[in-house]
Amino acid sequence: MTKSLPRVLIVDDNPADVCLVREALAVTERESEVSSVGDGVEAMSFLTRKEKFADAFCPDLVILDLNLPRKDGQAVLASMKAAPALRKIPVVIFSTSQLPKDIVRSYELGANCYVRKPGNLNEFFYAVRSIEDFWFGFVNLPPRGE
Amino acid sequence: MSGAATQLGTQTPPQPGLKLRALLLEDNALDAALVVRALFKDGFDVKAHVVQDEAAFTNALRDDSPEVVLADYNLPTWKGMEALKVIRQEGLDIPMILVSGALGDVTAVECIKQGATDYVLKDGLARLPEVIRRALREKEERSLRRKVQEDLARKADELARSNADLEQFAYVASHDLQEPLRMVTAYTQLLAERYRGKLDENADKFIGYASEGALRMQVLIQDLLAFSRVGRNGSTSNSVDCNAVMAEVLQTLSPAIRESGAVVTCGTLPTVWADRTQVAQVFQNLIGNAIKFRGKEPPAVSVQAEKSGEQWQCSVSDNGIGIDSEYVEKIFVVFQRLHARDEYPGNGIGLAICKKIVERNGGKIWVESQPGCGSTFKFTLPSHDPEGEEVAR
Repeated sequence: MTKSLPRVLIVDDNPADVCLVREALAVTERESEVSSVGDGVEAMSFLTRKEKFADAFCPDLVILDLNLPRKDGQAVLASMKAAPALRKIPVVIFSTSQLPKDIVRSYELGANCYVRKPGNLNEFFYAVRSIEDFWFGFVNLPPRGE
Repeated sequence: MSGAATQLGTQTPPQPGLKLRALLLEDNALDAALVVRALFKDGFDVKAHVVQDEAAFTNALRDDSPEVVLADYNLPTWKGMEALKVIRQEGLDIPMILVSGALGDVTAVECIKQGATDYVLKDGLARLPEVIRRALREKEERSLRRKVQEDLARKADELARSNADLEQFAYVASHDLQEPLRMVTAYTQLLAERYRGKLDENADKFIGYASEGALRMQVLIQDLLAFSRVGRNGSTSNSVDCNAVMAEVLQTLSPAIRESGAVVTCGTLPTVWADRTQVAQVFQNLIGNAIKFRGKEPPAVSVQAEKSGEQWQCSVSDNGIGIDSEYVEKIFVVFQRLHARDEYPGNGIGLAICKKIVERNGGKIWVESQPGCGSTFKFTLPSHDPEGEEVAR
């Protein structure tokens, strides 16, 4: 039963943002399994199930912030898209940056979409709900490679 | 030779004189002595160094730092005018006076054209002291002028740098302030949503105030960012057809125009030399204001233009509430508002942005208005490329 729940990995160094995304996901009708990590190095360990993440799930979707300690979001994105086992996982860049260079570079590196983190709660919830609806309700995702 | 000169140089002048380090380019020892004597007689406490050729001249120039060079026009191995080139090569500003047995007027004029300060004939040496005094005076004035110019350039540099710093600061500050503020906004809203009616009445009110404050601050920061962005992203000037710009602006403003029942009339507008997006922003802000600050009547807005010298002067007139003459300057300052927020919403950024844009594009903006009788905002923009125009001249 739990296996069929959509699995989301949030990569964000701001606990308040992680909490907001979790809240936003929690208020939707669709249940989901959510994990979060606070920097890019941890994100890669999680995705490759290294060390303390040996039992981590393989996410169906990664919600990735750009500005991260140690290894930034674009570096995580580049590593994911270079790894055969990870490149099929859709990555949503979720960032406050509206700089064209950030947006363009993210798509160049293979981001599946780029969503601005809104400043307003309702817009924030709407953005997260839209991401969830689109990726888990509308599109066909690749089968999980457990 | 320099021995003779030095000997003369040790004589005590008649009165305590003006100290002078002179470099003489002269092959005739007697002539050199006569020159030095002429200066002594006039009260110069002269220290003369006499040389005959390029090598010695260059060395003396470097070692003695002379205040004046007195050069014979004709030398056995060198030319007096060549000395001028050496002085320039050394990057020095030392007056050079030709002292010559015979020098035709044409040659003399040519020498002065090439940069000699003056010339004195050997049989008219009595004139030399005054020539030297004038040369030193002129040099003093030159260096003073140079210093003033350098000071001015440095101050302009400092000002430009400090302006750039300030803009960078405003940008970084407003950008970085957004992040924590986003959290305050989101979580006060979440509190309001989750706990409304579950605490007590005061709690609801407090959360409401906090939440409104945070939202307002977000808008302020966004406005400040928009203001500091003017020109940051490298505005590019082009020929801009204001008629096309105006059509787009009216399209953008059409909801406000419809809702207010405004009538916007528009004369034939010029082609100006400016940044297109920025020109659109100015028209949009001015017409938007004309509609916003309306009186009881539906807004009637007129956009016109006329040539004013090298520039076009555009005007946006309305029949709105007008502005007291006391405030005609203040309204262009960032975040200055004249009305209560519930009367006329806004943060007071629109006109500040207009002013910044117009001035960055080489124009001016001002308002003519009377309370109750509407306002006319006027601004100027260059009619064409400043460089292109110079080529055309």
